[in-house]
Amino acid sequence: MDEAKRRVDELRKSRSELDNHLIDELAAGKISRREFVRRGSVLGLSLSSLAFIAAACGGDDDDGGEGATPTGATDTTGGAPQAGGALRTGIIAPAGALDPLTVADEGGLAVLGQSGEYLVWSNEQLELEPRLAESWEPNEDGSVWTFAIRQGVTFHDGTPLTAEDVAATLNLHADPKNKGNALSAFGGVLSAGGAEAVDEATVEVTLDAPNGNFPYLVSSDNYNVIILPANFDGNWERSFQGTGPWVLDRFTPQQGVTYTKNPDYWDTERQPLADTSELRFYAEDQARVLALQGGEVDILSQFAVVGGEALLSDENISVIEVRASQHRQVHMRVDQEPFNDKRVRQALALVLDREALVEGLFQGKADVGNDSPFAPVFPSTDTSVPQRAQDVEQARQLLADAGVGDGFAVDLSTWDNYEIPELAVLIQNAAREIGIRITPKVTDAGTYYTDFWLNSPLGITDYGHRGVPNVFLTAPLTSEGTWNAPHFANAEYDRLVADYVAALDLDSQRAVAKQIQELLLDETPIIFPYFYFHLSATTKEVTGAEPTGMGHIDLSRAGFTA
Amino acid sequence: MIIFTAAQVLPGDVGRAILGPFADDRAVEQLNEELGTNRSVFVQYADWVGGVLRGDLGDSYAFRRPVGDLLWPALENSAKLALLAFIVVVPLAVVGGVAAALAQGRLPDRLISIGGLSATAIPEFVWAVLLIIVFALWLDVLPVSAQAPAGAGLLTEAKYLLLPALALVFVLFGYIARMARAGTIETLDADYTRTAYLKGLSRRTVIRRHVLRNSLLPTIAVVATQVGYLFGGLVVIELIFNYHGIGELLFRAVQQQDFPLIQSTVLLIGVVYLAATLVADLLYSLLNPRIRLARDE
Repeated sequence: MDEAKRRVDELRKSRSELDNHLIDELAAGKISRREFVRRGSVLGLSLSSLAFIAAACGGDDDDGGEGATPTGATDTTGGAPQAGGALRTGIIAPAGALDPLTVADEGGLAVLGQSGEYLVWSNEQLELEPRLAESWEPNEDGSVWTFAIRQGVTFHDGTPLTAEDVAATLNLHADPKNKGNALSAFGGVLSAGGAEAVDEATVEVTLDAPNGNFPYLVSSDNYNVIILPANFDGNWERSFQGTGPWVLDRFTPQQGVTYTKNPDYWDTERQPLADTSELRFYAEDQARVLALQGGEVDILSQFAVVGGEALLSDENISVIEVRASQHRQVHMRVDQEPFNDKRVRQALALVLDREALVEGLFQGKADVGNDSPFAPVFPSTDTSVPQRAQDVEQARQLLADAGVGDGFAVDLSTWDNYEIPELAVLIQNAAREIGIRITPKVTDAGTYYTDFWLNSPLGITDYGHRGVPNVFLTAPLTSEGTWNAPHFANAEYDRLVADYVAALDLDSQRAVAKQIQELLLDETPIIFPYFYFHLSATTKEVTGAEPTGMGHIDLSRAGFTA
Repeated sequence: MIIFTAAQVLPGDVGRAILGPFADDRAVEQLNEELGTNRSVFVQYADWVGGVLRGDLGDSYAFRRPVGDLLWPALENSAKLALLAFIVVVPLAVVGGVAAALAQGRLPDRLISIGGLSATAIPEFVWAVLLIIVFALWLDVLPVSAQAPAGAGLLTEAKYLLLPALALVFVLFGYIARMARAGTIETLDADYTRTAYLKGLSRRTVIRRHVLRNSLLPTIAVVATQVGYLFGGLVVIELIFNYHGIGELLFRAVQQQDFPLIQSTVLLIGVVYLAATLVADLLYSLLNPRIRLARDE
């Protein structure tokens, strides 16, 4: 053990103050081993040194009492996958042109991630794995991040990957002129020109403001930023240019893509097993589910419990669950009657039986939410904050105190998507118990997002998965937030969020998180009823597919067992 | 013009629809600027009409490729499905309808009429799901989707298309058979039929030479009107079977508020409908000398 301690001390000398702080946290038992690894990976410690330090410094073995963690890993019943074969994967049909700049949907990002690669991969445990970046490191306050770019990697056309390509890609996405979808993550964080190749193998990224989670923004979580050649001409559909394990064979718009394995792929541990891989596009959920059941595809990148019940009970199908932060927000306009009194908002939040929602809408495949964006899956979430549970009596009392004991009528706007209409009806039924007469108004997506989203007194909006809660904390809740449907404006909250975003170590992140969670629980501008899991499925003959909560699916190690 | 106005009053804006609700405002503005969707409605329309007159349908906003690239394969797919459905249903329904008429009021008539009507009353997507469950999942004899792999032969394609075509057969059978039955009953009662019998012709000859020719006229009109439904009206069927026909294309175009694609798709459906009606009229005159002669006078 002394030898180990000595080696840890050696390691500490070479690491930054932040890294050492993290090691202190682990040694003091403030964080578990898993959190240490997750957090350390953000700061750029290699996985091997993380494992070594974790073993030497102890710490709890696991997250402890956080309840059942979904498998996260792939199903192992079928044994190890064999090399060879042709994989067929059903994905949601991409919504538009396949352009790394503008893709904004799950089908599109799943395609980007096959031939393209990110600097960093955010895996299903929300740990960061180095990909095209070998390592990375922040400066003192997290305002400048330095990435060491992997050498010896080539694009599919044979040109070698350089630091120039990486810097050009980041600047491309950060420039508002290019109308990139990644601006929603880079806005206020990275401006065009912020990324600079300081030499062949190093990229220095200077941020607009300190950001402790920047590596997530260049990871697969910010799915647009696959690394492109510096001379990218905008026509990605022609070649599917990238450095990834799969090389484009043929692309048929609306129908699908076929790939062959990349014989020159740099990562020897992730060499594709199958010879070819085909992505088939399905515009309709039901068609995708049927395709897997009918043996037309071997893998389904994503399905929902609503509409996919048949897969959950099919004994020929293996379901892969990934715990995620995707959720629905039930927002109430705090600047208008009747929800301008926080007691009314609390009352509505209190009538919901969240356990029943999770069971009924997701067959248990979701985490219960606690009315803040801090999903249980995030390491910075403070789980000691008491969970809000159903209490109809208290809800009634709160309404009476607010002077609306007789209840009131209000419209609930939302759009027709998966379980949302059912959620609306369940909220309607629950609210009736305390005299709130809700009328659900369910429209299509276009109508909802244009006419109702930001103006309705009460609405339900869907949010996709993110590896860190930053966007959930800012856009829908800060005074300047662009998606602030509840019109929530709270100076104290804004200050806390700024502190959270700038915080570099988990300990201080969690301290701020606790205050944010308590503030939101008290104010309740938004009800977060649940965070649901990302579900994928394969036939029993296939193993090794690795989906992420974001909607990527890594097929490099997928193969047939027999 | 109506389609155009309707497409324009669709809620939301194009850039937003393409980039998604959570896209950055700057990106949305930029895209609208690039696509020209921030221009006035009339400018956009004039632009499109001008293009169509030159044979250029424009570029799809969402897929950023020429509309023709998307439209023609979809038209071909829809045509294949419609053709297969017709090949099965028209002879079947005509024979059924005539048989029912000849057995008017008796058991075969009741079976065909009531069976056909009941099948028609069930929407095509319900048939689609039932057929998939039985033939693709339980019996595992037919594929679950309709899109044959690229480069498949004619027979393979027909195999893939059989289930959706069958679903359409169920829906169309009752309709067409009823028309055939009504037409036949009417001609059986007609004076010239009685004359034919009275001049001593056999029942067989009367039916073949006098009844069928006349009774099928209304049936042809009905079949022609169904062409419009088969091209563009099969949104749900095409989605369930993951088939890339006109209906699916239109559905996705509307979802994306892809104005050039919506316009061109609807225009195409209109053209197909007109062509079908025209063919029906020609067939009419071919089968019915009275119409032909009336024109000659």
